[in-house]
Amino acid sequence: MSGRRVAAISRRILSQFRRDHRTVALLFVVPVLVTGLLGWIVTESHAVPPRVGTVILSPLLAGRVEDAFAAADTDGAIDYVGRADSEDAARRLLRDDDIDVALVVPAGIQADILAGRRPTLTIITQGIDTVGDGGAAVAVQRVVATAIGTGTGGAIVPAFERETVYGSPDATQLDALGPIFLGFFAYFFVFLLTGVSFLRERTGGTLERLLATPVGKAEIVIGYVAGFGILATIQVIVLLTFSLADVQVAALGPLPAFSLGLGVANAGSPLLVFAIVLLLAIGAVNLGIMLSTFARTELQVIQFIPIVIVPQGLLGGLIWPVESLPDVLQPIARILPLTYGIEGLRGVLVRGAGLDDPTLQVDLAVLAGVAILVALLATRTIRREVA
Amino acid sequence: MDAAVEAIGLTKRFGALTAVDEVDLALAPGRIYGLLGPNGSGKTTLIRLLTGLARPTAGEARVLGHRMPSQAGLASIGYMTQADGIYPELSVLENIRFFAALYGTTERAALTAALELVELADRAGTPVFELSGGLRRRLSLACALVHRPPVLFLDEPTVGIDPALRVQFWSHFRDLAASGTTLLVTSHVMDEADRCDELLLVLAGRVIEHGTSAEIRARVGADSLEAAFLAVSAGNRGR
Repeated sequence: MSGRRVAAISRRILSQFRRDHRTVALLFVVPVLVTGLLGWIVTESHAVPPRVGTVILSPLLAGRVEDAFAAADTDGAIDYVGRADSEDAARRLLRDDDIDVALVVPAGIQADILAGRRPTLTIITQGIDTVGDGGAAVAVQRVVATAIGTGTGGAIVPAFERETVYGSPDATQLDALGPIFLGFFAYFFVFLLTGVSFLRERTGGTLERLLATPVGKAEIVIGYVAGFGILATIQVIVLLTFSLADVQVAALGPLPAFSLGLGVANAGSPLLVFAIVLLLAIGAVNLGIMLSTFARTELQVIQFIPIVIVPQGLLGGLIWPVESLPDVLQPIARILPLTYGIEGLRGVLVRGAGLDDPTLQVDLAVLAGVAILVALLATRTIRREVA
Repeated sequence: MDAAVEAIGLTKRFGALTAVDEVDLALAPGRIYGLLGPNGSGKTTLIRLLTGLARPTAGEARVLGHRMPSQAGLASIGYMTQADGIYPELSVLENIRFFAALYGTTERAALTAALELVELADRAGTPVFELSGGLRRRLSLACALVHRPPVLFLDEPTVGIDPALRVQFWSHFRDLAASGTTLLVTSHVMDEADRCDELLLVLAGRVIEHGTSAEIRARVGADSLEAAFLAVSAGNRGR
């Protein structure tokens, strides 16, 4: 063991990095930026108070319940939208995204209380964001407890039944997250794969050779999109099948019974899910081609992940809903393709949105627009002039 | 006879550096031209201008009368780059089929002929990453000529290959020229230069001598091409 030789090796490593400014930036600047962004989102995200509507079928309690919700609205705990005439009307409001949660107070509640029975109230949520729904339901329960509790000596604790407009109240986090990760992983892997492939094309001399043939730049880009599009298609079929399937396999000898697939609930058309992921993937192919211009090595393509992929993961609604992001970051989230991909996937899988759904139309249009825009930019980065 | 390859006042500047300086050329069909010059003299830039890969700052390049880069011009050239420029994950046949398809050549006979020319027919199914450097060079050549182009640009085709294969390559080049193909070959090796029909000596982006090996030696008064080359370079530097 020679200290001098060891020192020579470590000195050489440091010298190499001195000339690779991008890797130095990746080591010291990017983590600070990404952590800063994360901190910003976590501390500044404002929990948006849930928009509440009520359906009060017991006229005797109406005034007291409405007063309690109005007071909670003033406190800022909830955003009280008002009283609907019927449960159907409330469900319509939920479906149109005019309210996040509806409380149904049954006609027989007064009789239940007088008879000493435990009254049951119904809380209906949209069922799209399981975590958000849970928070909204708790906020409503708290207001109801004040309204009924104070008026009846505090002895009566009402029971709550949960219902949802979409999906089921028993939906797990997996049902909410499954569709999102489907889009995220397709986007991420296709970007990485194309970036590295095209970088090899640039550095291996094959691009130079291609450009000395009659092939046009647009032909190269479209060829890449078609080729990787087929790969992405297979990837989505595999991922989608695994996510949606729930095949019970019986116990066999020493093997216990188990289930194949995640069994994520799907309310919409698998073909639409497919279209969204494919549009995301096409955008990712072109982004990979475009950014490969700015990389000299495969390591440098990988270095684009914290710059291109991670911020989209943080801002795109993967974990925190876009509406709860700090005000400055919301417009940024609204220009990222992944935001629309996630919104679209949620729309189809959870709400069962079809092509006539205006939100989904916007999502698909934005994704297609971004894919075309990045394709044009990618074509511009392929130049005969390399020197 | 019309020139197969022409350069008219062809110039390429990178900022303050002039890589190719007002080059005028007219290469006749069916001949082998050797492009000689020290490292950094502008040989590769000149080839890239002639193939349309680089855009000239001034002047123009023409192949078979087509101004480069044009579809018709690009369809009539084959280009073997300094890097192999082939796909390691594909087999020998898949590589050659791919490049042939870009020119619209699909018939099996053309692919087989190109593979036989470089003696790779028995390795058609082998993935390129399993091939030695010399075999890759052969495949690279086959990919450049599978569509039987009338004009071939070969940038240092024999770098890194053994003397026996080099002799084979030159015999192929001679056959191609005999069938009417025009070849422009860059090289550092002087005994290769002697195999060319005509030589172009490039220095600092300019063609300073053009003629047969014997003509250049006689003009400079040197008994070997190497001596002539050194004398011409020195004389030019001194000017």
